[in-house]
Amino acid sequence: MKKPVLQAGLLTAALLMALPGVVLYLASYFWGAWLLLGALCMLTAERLLTRGPAEVGVQARALLAKAAMPVEGICLALLIGAAIMAVTGHDPISSYGALFYGGLVKNWDVSVLNATPLIFTALAVAVAFHGGLFNIGAEGQYYVGVIVATWLGLMLRLPPILSLPLIFLAGALAGALANVIPAWLKVRTGAHEVVTTMMFAYAVATLSPIFIRAHGGDPSMTDHPGATDTILQQSQLPVFKSVLPLANYRLHFGILIAIVLALLVRFLLSRTNLGFKIRATGFNPTAARMQGISVAGITMASLLISGAIAALSGVTQVVGLDHRMYQNLSAGYGWNGISVALLARNNPVAIIFASLLWGTLDAGGQYMARTVQTPNAIIEIIKGVILFLMLAEYLWTWLSARLRRQRVAA
Amino acid sequence: MKRALVLAIAIAVVLTMSVEAQSAKPLVAMTTDTNGLGDGSFNDGVYAGLKRAEAEGLCTVKVVEAHAMTDYVPNLSGLAEDGAKLVFGVGALMIEQIQEAAKGHPNTYFAGIDHYYGGEIPPNLIGISYREQEAGYLAGIVAGYMTSKYSKNSPLLNGKNVIGAVLGMDIPPVERYLAGYIAGAKSVNPTVDVRYIVTGTFADRAKGKEASIALIDQGADIVMQIAGLTGMGVLDAARERHVFAIGADVDQNAAAPEYVLTSALKGTTISAYKAIKALSDGTLKGGQNIVYGLAEDAIDIAPFHQFDKIVPAEVKDAVAKAKRDIISGKIKVPVSLAELGIKK
Amino acid sequence: MMQALAMIFTPQLLEATIRLSTPVTLASIGAMVCERTGVTNIAMEGIMLMGAFFAAAVGYATGSPWLGLLGGIAGGMAFSLLFAWAAVTLHINHVVAGAIMNILAFGFTRYFMNVFYHIQGTSPALPVTLHNYKYAVPLLGSLPVIGPAFFNQTPIVYMSLVAVIAWAWILARTRLGLSVLAAGEHPMAYETLGRSVPRIRYFGVLMSGLLCGIAGSFLSIENSNSFTEGMTDGRGFIALAANIAGGWRPLGCFLSSFFFGFVDALQLRVQSSGLLRIPSEIFLVFPYVATIAAVAGLVRGSRPPAAVGKDFTIEGEGD
Repeated sequence: MKKPVLQAGLLTAALLMALPGVVLYLASYFWGAWLLLGALCMLTAERLLTRGPAEVGVQARALLAKAAMPVEGICLALLIGAAIMAVTGHDPISSYGALFYGGLVKNWDVSVLNATPLIFTALAVAVAFHGGLFNIGAEGQYYVGVIVATWLGLMLRLPPILSLPLIFLAGALAGALANVIPAWLKVRTGAHEVVTTMMFAYAVATLSPIFIRAHGGDPSMTDHPGATDTILQQSQLPVFKSVLPLANYRLHFGILIAIVLALLVRFLLSRTNLGFKIRATGFNPTAARMQGISVAGITMASLLISGAIAALSGVTQVVGLDHRMYQNLSAGYGWNGISVALLARNNPVAIIFASLLWGTLDAGGQYMARTVQTPNAIIEIIKGVILFLMLAEYLWTWLSARLRRQRVAA
Repeated sequence: MKRALVLAIAIAVVLTMSVEAQSAKPLVAMTTDTNGLGDGSFNDGVYAGLKRAEAEGLCTVKVVEAHAMTDYVPNLSGLAEDGAKLVFGVGALMIEQIQEAAKGHPNTYFAGIDHYYGGEIPPNLIGISYREQEAGYLAGIVAGYMTSKYSKNSPLLNGKNVIGAVLGMDIPPVERYLAGYIAGAKSVNPTVDVRYIVTGTFADRAKGKEASIALIDQGADIVMQIAGLTGMGVLDAARERHVFAIGADVDQNAAAPEYVLTSALKGTTISAYKAIKALSDGTLKGGQNIVYGLAEDAIDIAPFHQFDKIVPAEVKDAVAKAKRDIISGKIKVPVSLAELGIKK
Repeated sequence: MMQALAMIFTPQLLEATIRLSTPVTLASIGAMVCERTGVTNIAMEGIMLMGAFFAAAVGYATGSPWLGLLGGIAGGMAFSLLFAWAAVTLHINHVVAGAIMNILAFGFTRYFMNVFYHIQGTSPALPVTLHNYKYAVPLLGSLPVIGPAFFNQTPIVYMSLVAVIAWAWILARTRLGLSVLAAGEHPMAYETLGRSVPRIRYFGVLMSGLLCGIAGSFLSIENSNSFTEGMTDGRGFIALAANIAGGWRPLGCFLSSFFFGFVDALQLRVQSSGLLRIPSEIFLVFPYVATIAAVAGLVRGSRPPAAVGKDFTIEGEGD
């Protein structure tokens, strides 16, 4: 058979197995993992065919090396967590058993639901990072997305095929708008975007009760104080259960949207002109300017895109899970998004996995707290330690490499 | 010989039966709201009810503390899946989530504290709410008298005829307390000035303290807290500024003995206990809203403890009379500020 | 209307403002020192929380609020040492390291609350708090309006005022102050003078740890009598904003913290006076809007130290 035909065939087969595999696995049909494994085999075969075994071997080893560090960091953090548990009188083995069983098997759907908004906010933070900026106020843009989605969700009387894309678009625009002032201030006056985005986030969070009261959350008039009315049926995201009956009834398609967005961001950053400019500006603004890149324009673009993606996080939460806006809902998606972006080293595809890890830790932690009574605050400690270790290791190797080079040169 | 055998068999039967009864003790569980235990009033009150039932051997108890609103559904469902026969959800903020959980687990009873459900109620769901306004009314009577007519009875009172209230959020149970408080105070002291502040949170102790201080600065010498954990700040302020505080939900005298005059008791403990008792008796009926008030022995004001001597007989008689009148229907206590003609 | 205004603008308002602004004042001075040496510190929220926790824990265990204060300081400084190690020695990006510190602090306090006291919400009450040590300065305490506000307060409030004055003097008149300023503006020059940038940065971070530890202690053992989960409530970030709005200067920090405290105190009193029936949220949002304005340079002369947030590595390559 001709090589290109075989190649195309293998790739198609891989894709045809991967897509349903992913969907099935996410919906807790765990045998979907076999499909994913099959897709991986197809992909490896294609690589072997086109690049030859030597190069495939090199690539595989490089991939494993890259994955080794985060895995090491996670294992070490788990060990430290176990030590703290043991010292404070909780059995680490049963705790971790409950943690992983709960997060990966029993409440896998909760893990996925937890991960979904994180993917969005982490992508937002990552895009900003690539541009050399810190979008710490992702939480505020999240709220903006929630507000817009709730408002439109209550108002729009269109069929889902129109209303949902409209809501997503409006949410993204609102999120971008939310970052206009911080971006403009950064460009014009050099105002540090950490402070401006953070202050904006606090401002939105503080003002949100006004919106909630105006849309059905007024305590004197409703039986569900502190939350808006439920958005209309046609503005709600479809759920997995509509095609896969055994899936949890709350699992919505938002995770798929998130994964697609991650791939889009990867494409944007690595294959487009804009992405190149963003990364160049982030790496070295002076050099970028000398290359003719408008640093001011790119700065604005980075923050606006970042804001738009973060707002989509809020939109997905509303149309997918909550179907309304809750007061005092500071689930910390902004902060956790930052953690995930750091953990994934701002790599969009890695963000998907890091988000799932975070989501699993949270869901598993609740399960652990419920079944073996180990307080799930240990999860927060573990998360912090993972981040700390990961970054420390990364920078240690980077620094020692530089020192070595310096010493050699000297 | 035969008698011995019969006796032996009888003993064996009794023993096995008691062993079976032991292992058949139902699991009763609760999930707190995001404030967790240790809020001094709400969550603790319900938990006390569960503990009391456990002490009496009616059940075994499990408590899970929620950290965020997204924990409510997994906690409620998870506890049901763990085998609990009755799951308590505490607080008005999980009213939607508990209905979801109840529909998903038709074989478990769910009881929502501070919940009143409209429409069709699932047969395994019970809404438990209270006539807080009645407790507020009684507390208001005490406050109305003490701040003016009997202000000489204690150095903590200043005779300015101003009393205050610190609210958590403006939700129906809180408003009922306040409406009753104002009505009760005005019924014995028509000129009293009642001021209140909404802090917007049930979780910020420092804010509660600041709000009380603001009220105290404006002359209030009795401040009622209707704010959960934020309300603990009211007790802090009373302690620092030497004025009286009135607690809510449970008897909070122990938290600040020299300064807590009384507390408006909501009967969370007893309502939880009664529900568990009904479960173990087999008389628990779902699909309904139960409202607890004075008539059900669930509402009251706490004893005056060390202030018993300074609270005169007239006040105590007025409280007793009000109780009788409320139960008989002679007094209708308002449930909202609108009913009192107060615009918000 | 006039009656309502008279009810709001009383001497007690000033006293409440000072009280409400104390933790922010302390933390913002800490931020100022830290940033002046060149380290961006967004971890103050977490450090303050640790300080509050340890103050309550030690105070409860020993029965003495003063030992509790020492515990709070120790806790704050120890935690900030971790941050210093991450940011200065490991050269982790300051903002990133700060974010991680905050996450760690929340998890740590929540977990050990559970371990020590088996409940989540509030730690057991201290029998004696620093509020019992309220002290009225002899003559000055009886001055009409400023007397009760500035001279009849509790210990940590005094400490905050002392910190402002002390650091104003240190920065203006001492070698230490000069070092701090120089390291933040020209770290390279500082090094060539034979001094150590990492050392002064450690000092800056530890000083912020000390001050945030005191600020946290105020929250748990002076303004209250126990630790409540998350009791810092964003004050660490407001302090960061106050520092920026104050132009990285001690008096400026004090004034902006004062302003934030004022808005807070005012909002409560306006609410209870019934003067304006506008949503309280409108008041609450003022500090954040003000900060954005200040950061944008609308406050004249608000310029950060030249080298703040920039990594300093010995090879001489700044960021």
